[in-house]
Amino acid sequence: MKDHDKAAYPEPPRKTPVVDKQTSLPNPAVILSNLFYYSVDVPVSTFRGALDSIRSNNKSVYYHQKFRRVPELVDCEHGDYLCYYEAEMQWRRDYKVDQEIVKVIQERMRACYQREGSSYVQNCAKEIEQFEETSNNFQLRYGDLGAYASGRKCLMKQKERMMAAQAQTS
Amino acid sequence: MVGMSVLRSAAAFAARLSPLKSGNNAAQLLSRTIPRTDKVAVRFGGGGHGKQMFVVKSTEFYDSRFLRLLRFYLMLTGIPVAIIITGVNVFKGEAELTEIPEGYEPEHWEYYKHPITRWMTRTLFDSPVKDYEKMMAAIQYEKDKSDMRLTKLEVSRQMRMKGDGPWFQVKTPNKDLIHYGHKSTPDD
Repeated sequence: MKDHDKAAYPEPPRKTPVVDKQTSLPNPAVILSNLFYYSVDVPVSTFRGALDSIRSNNKSVYYHQKFRRVPELVDCEHGDYLCYYEAEMQWRRDYKVDQEIVKVIQERMRACYQREGSSYVQNCAKEIEQFEETSNNFQLRYGDLGAYASGRKCLMKQKERMMAAQAQTS
Repeated sequence: MVGMSVLRSAAAFAARLSPLKSGNNAAQLLSRTIPRTDKVAVRFGGGGHGKQMFVVKSTEFYDSRFLRLLRFYLMLTGIPVAIIITGVNVFKGEAELTEIPEGYEPEHWEYYKHPITRWMTRTLFDSPVKDYEKMMAAIQYEKDKSDMRLTKLEVSRQMRMKGDGPWFQVKTPNKDLIHYGHKSTPDD
């Protein structure tokens, strides 16, 4: 069960073809799917329904935490260690968020590949291009920082990137 | 059977009833010969499990004792923990994700899904906000200490240079204690 807003990332419409039966022989796929339904799906669903009716009295909820934005490392005075700490924590949260973003895009691409089968090269081009772009940007920003990555090291990497870009243009 | 005793004739009659049993040979009846063990029928060998034999093998006592104790001590806390976790999952299910209502500040445990995690963060651990503030307080203490040390270094540098502060003063003895007596006769 995924905990995200389904309307934000909608799944594509189903492409199951309409049944056009031309023989009177029974369809083994239908027989097997019915078998699976009655032997696995129905018991599991009734068990789940029973548990939900037991649990319906003590329902509780949980939320996603929203953090306020604080000044980043470049906006901190020199020697203001509290500002450094807050900026570092914010950078770590953003790092986790970016990792999850890349995972979501990757999941979309894999789902598309699974759906399309052997025609994924042309039908999934948009998802593939999106994934390439996001993963390239992630590598550029957070790429080789290592296990002890920090906001300062990321800033230094950005500085190196800017210097390389400037050296290239001039 | 002339010359035999009554007992022997009775045994002979019984032997005729089941002549194929190994002890019912006419020459062996009630004689004092010892039957050979490999030619005598096995008693207590029926019932499917066979005769009880003394099998010589290395002891399994220590191994089975170890496994028995292992199972016991694992089950001692394992079964209550399994019952508690199953009960929590069946009777109080996991929380559902919802949007934060307007103007409501959720408690720090209301950001977790599983009821046991929620209980742990509610009763056992400090909230992440408090941990953040504790870390900030520690950083503030260290910053203050470091600032004080830097000012102390600067102050001692200035005082040593200028010499008008309370530090780096060498105590000289009192003027009244100087003995000028021998100065009245300088040529001694």
